[in-house]
Amino acid sequence: MSEILLEVKNLSVRFPIWGGILRQKIAEVRAVENVSFTIKKGETLGLVGESGCGKTTTAKAICHILKETSHGVVQEGEIIFHSENGPVNLLSLNRKEMRFYRREIQMIFQDPFSSLNPRMTVSEIIQRPLKIHTKMNKKERRTRVTDLLEKVGLQPEYALRYPHEFSGGQRQRIGIARALAVRPKLIIADEPVSALDVSVQSQVINLLEDLQDEFGLTYLFVAHDLSVINHVSDRISVMYLGRIVETGSAEQVYSSPLHPYSQALISAIPQTDPAKRSDRIMLKGEIPSSMNKPSGCSFNPRCPIAVAECSTKIPELREMNDHHSAACDLLELK
Amino acid sequence: MTLKKSASPQQLRWRRFKRLKRGYYSFIILFTLYLLSFLLPFLVNNRAIVVKYNDKYYFPGLVNYVHDTFNLGLANIYLADEFNQTGENDDPLFGEANYRLLSSQFEEESGDNYVIMPPVPFNPIENFLSLDGNPPHSPSSIHWFGTDDSARDVFARLAYGFRISISFALMITFISYFFGIIVGAFLGFYGRWFDILGQRLVEIWGAIPFLYTVIILSAVFSPSFILLVVIMSIFSWMGITYYIRGEFYREKTKDYVSAAIVTGENNLTIMFRHILPNALTPIITFAPFAIVGSIASLVALDFLGFGLPVPTPSWGEILKQAKASLRDWHLAVFPLVAMFVTLQLIVFIGEAVREAFDPKVFSRLR
Repeated sequence: MSEILLEVKNLSVRFPIWGGILRQKIAEVRAVENVSFTIKKGETLGLVGESGCGKTTTAKAICHILKETSHGVVQEGEIIFHSENGPVNLLSLNRKEMRFYRREIQMIFQDPFSSLNPRMTVSEIIQRPLKIHTKMNKKERRTRVTDLLEKVGLQPEYALRYPHEFSGGQRQRIGIARALAVRPKLIIADEPVSALDVSVQSQVINLLEDLQDEFGLTYLFVAHDLSVINHVSDRISVMYLGRIVETGSAEQVYSSPLHPYSQALISAIPQTDPAKRSDRIMLKGEIPSSMNKPSGCSFNPRCPIAVAECSTKIPELREMNDHHSAACDLLELK
Repeated sequence: MTLKKSASPQQLRWRRFKRLKRGYYSFIILFTLYLLSFLLPFLVNNRAIVVKYNDKYYFPGLVNYVHDTFNLGLANIYLADEFNQTGENDDPLFGEANYRLLSSQFEEESGDNYVIMPPVPFNPIENFLSLDGNPPHSPSSIHWFGTDDSARDVFARLAYGFRISISFALMITFISYFFGIIVGAFLGFYGRWFDILGQRLVEIWGAIPFLYTVIILSAVFSPSFILLVVIMSIFSWMGITYYIRGEFYREKTKDYVSAAIVTGENNLTIMFRHILPNALTPIITFAPFAIVGSIASLVALDFLGFGLPVPTPSWGEILKQAKASLRDWHLAVFPLVAMFVTLQLIVFIGEAVREAFDPKVFSRLR
């Protein structure tokens, strides 16, 4: 296989909760715990899980958004980005050092209605990254904007319009054009289609795939929509309560999920073919709060196959067969 | 292919503002009046606009003709001797010419010479003590709004007072917005202990009794226009910080700020280029009312005698005289009407601005 572009090793993210008169730390949200994954050059890693499981937090940690916006956030572990100048741990960089890598890692946001500044024209929005990271002159920047708009399927004359004049799908295309402006290597797509209509979703996904082929992009694709993830991803990591419970190729995770949570999740995908319909695994209870996680395997209170020792020992992610790993100690016992 | 820049949100609001006729016309009236007030030396003045004398043209309203008439090393505004103006008993006059009389003198001489006077040929600080009776004089066909207790023309003083009031209010609003925006932006953007501490300091500053401080400062320094503007601005930026701080708190959580971070923008650019344009709505809406407040405080200070130095024309000062001599109704009525009309126009503008910024197009001010 090709070389590794991004390696996340044992990433943990904890948000403090401030309270009391003196605003001291009274509790902690463990949003992401011991998350590890690797993304190879040119592939798409899908990060899937229900809301609140930490997938967006993981994405934001890679882009240093948490570091810049959340005071007191604790981020442990390593996020190793393999740039041309060799590997670098993004987490250990300060803002100035990070700025150098920003042009290689760009992000697409979930909500196209808030991710574009309403007071800037499309041209201004797309030109900002160029102004910061390149020495292009005005004319070159304009040409690049026209190129990019054509690439994402928008007419170049839209360049001087304001975001409020566009539909959700068009806005998301503008967001994609902005991310592409400085020719990044890695694009972190944080639920890029979940705010869009289904008909528009497929257009945007196809656009992302076309762009991947054209520019050799690597995606970290965060989503909660299983069919979307299955469509775009080469490999999939399933997250539950801040931990990755299963990682494997899209094929492996979809056709033969190992972890009981993944099994339940996959069984919830509506099937159009009645012959393929199987019994849906109904999970009992609700997803626990990440402030007060269950001990041991965080899935144990809802797990259909849980045994007593599940509530004492935290299972490690173990490779079960051919790059397909799951975090469940019961799998061998079966 | 024509690239036409489409309407920004601000332009759309301007269009909506133009549709709100009452506010829009108020704006046009007030704006025109304010522009006209810069032509006041040609509209209300005791100096002629143009004097033609012996085939030479003079513009005393525009140019100060300075000359050491008597070679005493003293610069004088001359021209009286230049025009051979004569006073009583045909004595030659020196110093500043009296253009109102010069006009009739030229007519008597029936030469080519002429004088074009402003429509209202009075200066706001000119004393008309030669009028019959004691000042204040009641309104007459010459002094439309009468004169005040120093026999100065009330109309001229109101007209010049309008310019001073509006300029004063605009400057205070601008300066206090400038500082309020900067402080509020930092408090809101950085938040946390910086915000908590900064806000307490702002509150302490805001708790200083403004009027007493102005009175004390007026007693120590003789208040000039600029000094008053500075003092007033120092005590009026605090309210703006609250609005801007709140807006920044709201705006900084939005995705476009995260996008700016990912792009690699520095904090100052994020604050003032990305967030600020989106945070201006409440303070723009508030601006007309801030101007109303500043005008009213200037009137109040002048009324109390702690405002602009005499003989600066001001509305509050005329009202103060009205309090002293209640019989002279014109001293109370005309400044109050002028103030009422001005403030009402600004309030109409303010209402329309508020409505133009209202995202709900169909909501109405009830």
